[in-house]
Amino acid sequence: MSTAAGKRVKIKAQKRLGELMREHFVDLDAAAGDPSRKVAWCTSVGPCEILTAMGFEVYFPENHGALLGARRVSHELIPRAVGIGYGAESCSYMTSDIGSTLAGVSPLQEAFGIAGPPTPEVLVYNTNQCREVQDWWGFYGRRDGAPVMGICPPTHVGEVTAEHVSFVRGELERLVGSIEERFGTKLDLDRLREVVALSSQASALWRRVLDTARAHPAAMTFFDGVIHMAPVILMRGSHKAIEYYEALLAELNERVTEGVGAVPDERFRIYWEGMPIWPKVRELAEKFYDLRTVVAASTYCNSWAFEEFDGGDPLEWMARTSTEIFINRDEETKQKFLVEMLDGFGIDGAIFHNARTCPNNTNSRFGMAQRIREESKLPVLVIDGDLSDLRFFSTAQTMTNIEAFVEQLAEYRR
Amino acid sequence: MSAPLFVGIDVGSSATKCVVLNDTRALVGHHVVTSGFDYVEAAETALQHSLLQAEGVKKDVAYCVSTGYGRERVAWADGHVTEITCHARGAKEWYPEVRGIIDIGGQDTKVIRLSEEGRMVDYRMNAKCAAGTGTFLESTAHKLGLSLGELDGLAMESKAHAVVNSYCTVFAGTEVIERIKEGQRLDDIAMGLFRSIASRVAEMLAVRDGALAATGGVAAHCGALIRALEEVLETQVWLPPMPQHAGAYGAALLAAETNVAERSSARHVADR
Repeated sequence: MSTAAGKRVKIKAQKRLGELMREHFVDLDAAAGDPSRKVAWCTSVGPCEILTAMGFEVYFPENHGALLGARRVSHELIPRAVGIGYGAESCSYMTSDIGSTLAGVSPLQEAFGIAGPPTPEVLVYNTNQCREVQDWWGFYGRRDGAPVMGICPPTHVGEVTAEHVSFVRGELERLVGSIEERFGTKLDLDRLREVVALSSQASALWRRVLDTARAHPAAMTFFDGVIHMAPVILMRGSHKAIEYYEALLAELNERVTEGVGAVPDERFRIYWEGMPIWPKVRELAEKFYDLRTVVAASTYCNSWAFEEFDGGDPLEWMARTSTEIFINRDEETKQKFLVEMLDGFGIDGAIFHNARTCPNNTNSRFGMAQRIREESKLPVLVIDGDLSDLRFFSTAQTMTNIEAFVEQLAEYRR
Repeated sequence: MSAPLFVGIDVGSSATKCVVLNDTRALVGHHVVTSGFDYVEAAETALQHSLLQAEGVKKDVAYCVSTGYGRERVAWADGHVTEITCHARGAKEWYPEVRGIIDIGGQDTKVIRLSEEGRMVDYRMNAKCAAGTGTFLESTAHKLGLSLGELDGLAMESKAHAVVNSYCTVFAGTEVIERIKEGQRLDDIAMGLFRSIASRVAEMLAVRDGALAATGGVAAHCGALIRALEEVLETQVWLPPMPQHAGAYGAALLAAETNVAERSSARHVADR
């Protein structure tokens, strides 16, 4: 009964994305079995550029956490991690990933025909997003006897000052020193500059991809974004990511020129604040599609849209981007960013996802949703859920909440 | 040809309610049945009984809007709208000046705020658990060997101010047993359970700027709930003539408000 009119257009670049992912993971698997190559694990927000420049193949465990969620197996694996002392309400990326290791299963086996996550020789974290990553890496460090090292930028930062950047740059220098000492290799600053330039280029293209949703109708949705962001995380610092986003951007720009929307007959535009609900991404995408409502922008997908590198000190760029990401900022800075996004993308209402196991990437627990409602004069909805653990999610309740929200948007427009 | 009828059907987690309006929007038929496990059959039964009362048949139905958790299971409905919008619409029809609606159903509790013009400006739903819902009361009553009606009757006899702090159905059960062990009167404990729900509502009703009404099955059957709400919220809470049918009534009104052209092409009533 409630199906959208108009023709749905698939993103053609998705086929290439599938090939890229396969190539990436097969190569990573080969690296793990090749004594002449080294594998490092790293947090998704870096500092992977250092590792790439020092010749490591980089694996991102958060991607594995998201895959476990998307495959709807997290709730079966989390109890295994809980059984060895990890809290059921701590990061479900972490508990499902550790659970998958304990169970000896991984979606990488079925998806790419590889053994599973590669064994790390070093695990590098950045606590700019959360401290949980440090503890998560710690599990594998103890298991594999591999060193766990990283940086801890200042958190709840308002204006990013030279002192902040200098402090984090110092941390990065110490990290480089530790890796050099452990592996007997030197970081080539020119090589790092090259990797950072590639990383920044991919990131800038990614931002332009996301900006195609500023068009009315939006050329892409948040649900497209969470799929197509894979290269900017897994392959940044490589030409592959740049080539991919050039092709994707061209395709989406063509949509904008021709007035083709990701959601045909688009009626409303929504902002998504917080983590995706990975096991329900498809279902939610369908629900919004049926309601002819586009989730045009999100904080999450913007997490990898860094400022551009000017060709100067690569460590300073890394220090600055590590410090100034949204998740690491104070409430005032976050609020300013959100209001600008709501305005810039022509948003009709915002949905805040209260991810029960991810307090750091949840912004509805300290009155932000209410403040955004007051400042933007737009309807705001908070929904309960989680990034991976379906035990915190009620489909019927959430879908009713979303439908009612769209009904509310219709009332606002009358 | 008979005059057109407009139907609202609210397929809730506990009960299925139906309301039939005639072409002057007068309420001419209504019925409520237990939803059970077969929502389709429950909806059909509620409709047939309501039509019988309205002296009509199914082909007289010009437009039907379904609502409630089972709204998408009603294949013969022309459109579906959430119970949040429907409860707001129903309550507003009974009380045009109402600004806040408290709907306590079997599975969840919703608090809806309306603007002066009657526009829905905000709503909140309880988190994913039975806290503050009809199920919370039913489960706890069951633990005490009482029906919901008996629990309500007991609570209405309470003279002391007892509080059950727990929102969680399981923990509330434990707390009730502790209170019994401590020698507290059962009627006071029963009233404490209703106060627990009212406290939950107070949390959800952050802004209180006008008249309040309570709808839903729990409000319909439990005077103690209204008493607890008025006590905790420190204001009068209106109880409409058919609180349990508020959602179905709102749905029927939305059906009647859908114009003829839209009736033939609508995908979703909220598309208007």
